Amino acid sequence: MFKGNRKVLGIFALIACAFGSQAFAQTQGCIVLKSTAEIEKEVVNDKGEKSKVLVPAGKVIPGTEVVWTVTANNVCKQPSDKVTINNAVPEHMTLVPNSAFGPGSDVSYSLDGQKFAPAGQLTVQESGAARPARADEYKHIRWEFKNSLQPGASAFARFRAVLN
Amino acid sequence: MYSLRVLGAVCAFTVCVGLGSNKALAVGVAAGTDITNTAEVTYAVGATSVTTNSNAVVVRVAEILDVAVTRQSPANTAVGASSTQQEIVFTVTNAGNGPEAFRLVMDSVIGADDFDPTPASPSIYFDSDASGDLSPGDTPYTVGSNDPLLNPDTSITVLVVNDIPATAVDGNVGITRLTADARTGSGTSGMIFAGQGAGGTDAVVGMSGAIAGSTGQYQVAGVTVSAVKSQAVVDQFGGARPLPTARINYTVTVQAVGTGSAANAVFSDDIPANTTYVPGTLSLNSTPLTDIAADDAGEFSSTPGPRVRVTLGTLTQASGTQTIQFAVTIN
Repeated sequence: MFKGNRKVLGIFALIACAFGSQAFAQTQGCIVLKSTAEIEKEVVNDKGEKSKVLVPAGKVIPGTEVVWTVTANNVCKQPSDKVTINNAVPEHMTLVPNSAFGPGSDVSYSLDGQKFAPAGQLTVQESGAARPARADEYKHIRWEFKNSLQPGASAFARFRAVLN
Repeated sequence: MYSLRVLGAVCAFTVCVGLGSNKALAVGVAAGTDITNTAEVTYAVGATSVTTNSNAVVVRVAEILDVAVTRQSPANTAVGASSTQQEIVFTVTNAGNGPEAFRLVMDSVIGADDFDPTPASPSIYFDSDASGDLSPGDTPYTVGSNDPLLNPDTSITVLVVNDIPATAVDGNVGITRLTADARTGSGTSGMIFAGQGAGGTDAVVGMSGAIAGSTGQYQVAGVTVSAVKSQAVVDQFGGARPLPTARINYTVTVQAVGTGSAANAVFSDDIPANTTYVPGTLSLNSTPLTDIAADDAGEFSSTPGPRVRVTLGTLTQASGTQTIQFAVTIN
């Protein structure tokens, strides 16, 4: 399903670029963003060794940790700059501390979706005094990629959250 | 798409939680709820800034099957031998996250006690009138017929009713148990009943195994309250002859014997005919009591007939001997 979709989108992008219409490419977007939800499952191989794999999270129960992965794929022939992925922590879920990462990106957080800051630098008002916000209070995550995303290249961002 | 190595590294830096993390949650997000995620990306192509959304990923919350049974009655329910329809009160709580029906089973043949209570017929009732005890308004329970359907985090009060055998003697203990299990299914934690949860989602057995029980015990408690009255006559000539105007000092000792308790014990004694109470002579355990009602444990009243009364409260064998004294004069 996932691979199939990508192939279709890739072909579509090629057609768009072949027409050489930059306006058309912008309208449709150079970056195709894909979000997935997975959970860890322990598997045992033939040698009896245990390892964990990610399997699609169709149905989960409260207390389950879900791994959310966002993949940005540049389908145009020109690089994309200043690539920034924003993802709100889904409703009914709590962010797992230190779980957000994305290769080549700076991760910041926000309580309100407006003000973003690196981990540990946000504050909340409580009883008239400011205190550092806890990771479970972060409601938004932002990944700012330091380098341009080259044609055909992918960037990915990931975080974990527990179902309340 | 991603190698196991990367995944392993992720897991090492974060807390990997599985089913075990459910233990602290009485109830989580309601079964059947859809959790949706959409990411957004902004970027620049040349001088143009673009914003695009991802697909919306939907994860559906499955149902956890969990139940808790808690005894509401005291650790010991005091009963008399041969008494019937003695209830022990429990609550059954749906500790899962979806509406669930529960089957109730009671059992009174349990080891480690002195006698087996005899299940009454019926032996399980719902406390329909919320009185906290067995009363005519309560509904009998029949397995499979009126299994309680509970919403998440809600409870129902259940009465387990037994008769006490005549052979039980003072101090004997008899244990009874109530067990509740989810009608969808119970078993090992993590077991999945595909498609059988609320709203067609999966049902997953929670930490309780979707079955729970609690025990309560009856204790045969007999108590005998006895009172012993003695008198000392003092006449006006320094002797002990019951002459007119001679004074009679009464001493009454009250004692509870046995394992039970006598609630609201009140000592009451009519002033004998042809005598008159001496005001201010009433005492309990050598502490003077007034003759006025309600200001302390004692009172003297003249209607309907002259009498003294002392409120003793709940008496047990541990209370020890209660000594009441008062005096009268012979008319």
